[in-house]
Amino acid sequence: MSATGRWAAATMGMRNDPAVAAAVFVLWALLALFVVYPLAMLFVRVLTDHGGFTTAGLAAVLFDRHQLRAFRNSLLLALLVGSAGTVLGFLFAFTAARGRLPRGLLTAIDAAVLLPLVSPPFTTAIAMIFSFGPRGLITYDLLGLKGVTVYGLTSTLFSEVLTFFPIAYLTLRPLLAAIDSNVEGMAFSLGASRWRVFRTVTLPLTIPGLANAFLLLFAASLADFATPLILAGNNFPVLPTQAYLQITGLFDLRGGAALSFALLLPALAVFLLQRYWVSRRYYVTITGKGAGQTPFDSIAPGMRTVLLAACAVVALVVVYFYALLLYASLVVALGANHAFTLQHYRVIFTDGLKAIRDTLIIAGLAMPLGGLYGILLGYLVTKKSFAGRRTMELVSMINYALPGTIVGIAYLIAFNDPPLELTGTALIIIACYIFRYGPTGIRATVALLQQIDKSLEEASQGLGAGSGATFRRVTLPLIMPAFFAGLGVVFIRSMTAISATIFLVSISWTLITVKILENITELSLGPAAAFSVLVVAIVFVVIAIIGRVLRLFRAPGAVPMTSLLGG
Amino acid sequence: METIGVHVDGVSKRYAHRVKGEVYAARDVRLDVRPGEFLTLLGPSGCGKTTTLRMIAGYEKPDSGRVRFGGQDVTDLPANQRNIGFVFQNYALFPHLSVFENVAYGLRVRGQNDDVIRKSVGDVLTLVGLAGYEQQFSGQLSGGEQQRVALARAIVIRPRVLLFDEPLSNLDAKLRVQMRQEIRDLQRRLAITTVYVTHDQEEAMAVSDRIAVMHQGSVVQQGTAEDLYHRPASQFVAQFVGRMNLVAGRVAAIVGETVNIAALGTLISARSPPNGLAPGDPVQLIVRPEAIEVIRGDTGTLHATIVSRTFLGEKIEYLVRCEGEMLQIVRYNAGPGDLIPEGATVSLRFAADAVTVLTNTGVEGRGSE
Repeated sequence: MSATGRWAAATMGMRNDPAVAAAVFVLWALLALFVVYPLAMLFVRVLTDHGGFTTAGLAAVLFDRHQLRAFRNSLLLALLVGSAGTVLGFLFAFTAARGRLPRGLLTAIDAAVLLPLVSPPFTTAIAMIFSFGPRGLITYDLLGLKGVTVYGLTSTLFSEVLTFFPIAYLTLRPLLAAIDSNVEGMAFSLGASRWRVFRTVTLPLTIPGLANAFLLLFAASLADFATPLILAGNNFPVLPTQAYLQITGLFDLRGGAALSFALLLPALAVFLLQRYWVSRRYYVTITGKGAGQTPFDSIAPGMRTVLLAACAVVALVVVYFYALLLYASLVVALGANHAFTLQHYRVIFTDGLKAIRDTLIIAGLAMPLGGLYGILLGYLVTKKSFAGRRTMELVSMINYALPGTIVGIAYLIAFNDPPLELTGTALIIIACYIFRYGPTGIRATVALLQQIDKSLEEASQGLGAGSGATFRRVTLPLIMPAFFAGLGVVFIRSMTAISATIFLVSISWTLITVKILENITELSLGPAAAFSVLVVAIVFVVIAIIGRVLRLFRAPGAVPMTSLLGG
Repeated sequence: METIGVHVDGVSKRYAHRVKGEVYAARDVRLDVRPGEFLTLLGPSGCGKTTTLRMIAGYEKPDSGRVRFGGQDVTDLPANQRNIGFVFQNYALFPHLSVFENVAYGLRVRGQNDDVIRKSVGDVLTLVGLAGYEQQFSGQLSGGEQQRVALARAIVIRPRVLLFDEPLSNLDAKLRVQMRQEIRDLQRRLAITTVYVTHDQEEAMAVSDRIAVMHQGSVVQQGTAEDLYHRPASQFVAQFVGRMNLVAGRVAAIVGETVNIAALGTLISARSPPNGLAPGDPVQLIVRPEAIEVIRGDTGTLHATIVSRTFLGEKIEYLVRCEGEMLQIVRYNAGPGDLIPEGATVSLRFAADAVTVLTNTGVEGRGSE
C-alpha cells in the first residue's frame, strides 16, 4: 500500500479495508434475503395474478364493506390508543420527573410501568376476561351483573392503553428531565403562575415528544394482533386479526396478504413522519444526564397529591392485573373453584415443555446473533463510509417499523416454496426475530457512537494504535453496552412476540406465546396464566442479569436497557 | 532520543463551505520550530491554528505543502506512525479505562512488557503529581486531575513532538495559571519540542519561547512575546496581543532612525519602520495604554480631559479625551491620593520607544522575525 493509501486507510476509516467490504457485502446479502425479498414477494403476491399486474386482490379487500370496516376500526382504535396512552404516559412522566418523589416511589412507578412492557401478549387481555367477563371477579362477583359482554372497542382500548402507555412514559420522561428547570424557574420568577409556566414553557417544549409518543403508540396499536384477537370480538374487527383469520381460518393466503397490505400504508406513513419530521423538531437535547435540581416546586403541593393519586390508581390496576394472573395460575379455575393447585404449572412443564424448550432455544440463538447484527450494522453505518450507507440503515429498519402481521405473512409467502423453503424450521423464526428486533441494537449503537467524541479515537491513534487496535481497545469496549442492550431486547421480544411468528410456527418448532393463544381458545385459562407468569419471570431474570453486566462497563451513555423497549 | 525540530513548509488546507464555497482553513503556513522549543499558535477562533496543529499531528492531511520532523518528511505518515504526544482540549481520556490503563495505553500499543509499563507509568504519574490515582476512572477526577492524566499519557511514550490543543480552556482561572506553569516546567525538564494552540494571549506569553500569531488561515507574525507586544507588524497583531490605542497621523519629518509624526495636534516621535516613509505619508500610530504618562494640570503640550476612571487596586485605568480622540491609559497605582478625578484636565506624554508606526498601506503586512 502506498504511503498515501496507508494514511487514508488509518484516518478515513479503512475505505478499502477488505474486512469492511466483506462485512458490508454479507449484511447486504442478509438484508436482501430477510427484509427486501419477503416484502417484494408480498407485493408480487398481492399485486399480480397469473403473471400480470392487477389491483383486483387489493380492491376486493378495500371495497369489501366488512374489510373496510376493519380498516376504519384499526385506525380508530390506533387514534384512541395513541391519544389516551400519550396522556397517561405524560401523567406518569411528568409526575416522575417533576414531582420530587422519594427514590422508593420512583422505583415503584418504574416497576409498575415496566410490567406491561416485558409481558407476553394476551396478559392484560386474560386479566380483562378474568375481571370483566361474564363470570368476572368484578362484573359478576363484585357487582353481581349477569350476561355482560367484555368484548368490543372499550375493553380492547382499555387493555391496549394499559399495555402500551409505558412506551409514551419512556419517551417523555427523559425529555422532561432534560428540560433545563432553570427555564421554568425563570418564567416563575417573571411572575407566571405554576399553571402558566406549565402551559407556556413546559408543555410547548414537550410537544415534539408528545407527537413522537403519539405516533409510537399509534403504530403499536395498529400493529397489535394479540389484544384484539381476544377482546375485540366479532363486532369490532380490525385488520391484523382479519388477516390472520383469513389465512388460518379460510386458508386464503392471498386475501390475508392483501389485508396486511392495507396496513402497510398507515404504518409506513407513521414511520416516516416519526423519523423525518418529529425527530427534527426537538428543542431539547436528551443527553441522558438530568438537568439538576428544580429551583422551585413546579408542582403545587395540592396538584402533586392529585397527580400521585392518579398514577397510583393506574399503577394499582396494572399490579392488580398481574396479581390476578398469578392467582389464576395457582387456583383450579378462577371464578369457579379457588382451591390452591400447582396443576397448571404441571401442565405447562409436561404438555407445554416442548414449547418452552423451543422458545428458549430460539430466543437463546436469536439473542447473540441479533446483538452482533445490531452493533455490526450500527458501527458500519456510523463509522465507515461506503456506498449505500444511508440506504442500508433505512432498509434495516423496515421489518422493525412494519406491523408484525405484514412481516409474518411476507415471510410465509417468501419462504414457503423452494428454493428457499424455510417454513417449519427454527431458522425462519430466528431470522424473523433478528431482523425485526435487532434494529433496537442498531439504534442503541448509533446513539452511543454519536456520543463518543472523535477525539477518543484520535487520541488512541496519536498514541500509536492503528485502526484495528483502536477499534479493539477503544471503540468496541465503549459500544458493548449497546451490544448487551440490543441482545437483551432481542431475547425479551423473542420470548413475548407473536404477531409475526404466529405465521411461522410449525409442528417441529412452536412458541410459548402461540401455546398461550391455543390455551385461551380452548378456554384453559389456568395454563395460559401459568405460561404468562413463567415468561414474565424469565424475562425479569434476564433483565436483572443484563443490568448487572451493564454496570460492569463504565462507558458513558450506558442507557438502562428497559428504556429501549419503548420502541 | 535526539531532540528534533518541526518544519511546516507552505502547508494549506481547504474545505468546502456551504455558503462561501471553498475556504482556506490554513493558507501557505510556514513554521520552523527549533529542537526543544516551545512554540505557540495564537489567534482567534477559526484562524486555522487548530487545523495547523492537526496537520502537524497527522489527523488532517494538507492539500499542499510538507510537514517535516527533523529531516524526515512525515506528510504522508498517519498520526499513529509519527510518535507524537497530543493533549486534547477535552482531554479525550478513555472512559472505560483506569488512570493507569489510560497512561499505559501507548506503551501497550508499542508492545512493551508489563514490568516496563508498570515502571514507566508509575514514574510519569509521580512526575505529574498523580501517584496513587492508578485505579481511579476519569469520571472520578477533577478537571485539573484529568488534565494531568492527559499530559502523562502524552509524555509517557517519549514522543518526538508534544502537541497541545487549547488544553486549559476547560479549567477555572486559578487552575489555568497553575497548570500552564506546570506544563512549561515539564516541557523544559523533558526538552521536548512543543507546539501549543491557544486563543489566550496571556497564556501564550506565559508559556512560549516564541509565538506565531495566526489570522484567517495565515501566520501573520512570529516572534517572542516581547517582539509581538512592542513591535507588532500589523493592527491585527497589536489588537490581539494586549490592548492598544490607534491614532491616525501624518509623517512630518524623518531624522535618522526617528520619525516625527503629526498627530493629536502635536508632534510625536517614534522609531522609523523599516519600509521607507516620506514626509506627508498617512500612518497609524499604535500606543500601548501603559506607554502614556499622565501629568496633573495643563503644563505639558498635549492636553486631555479625564472622561472616566476605574480603580483596580494595583493599577488605575483612565479613559481620556484628547483632541477629539478617546485614549485608554493604564497607570500603576503610586499610592493614596494618586487617583485623578473625572473631568480634570491633564497633560499626556508618550514614551518615545513605545509608539509603533504602521503605514496605512501595510496594515496587514507579514511580519518578519
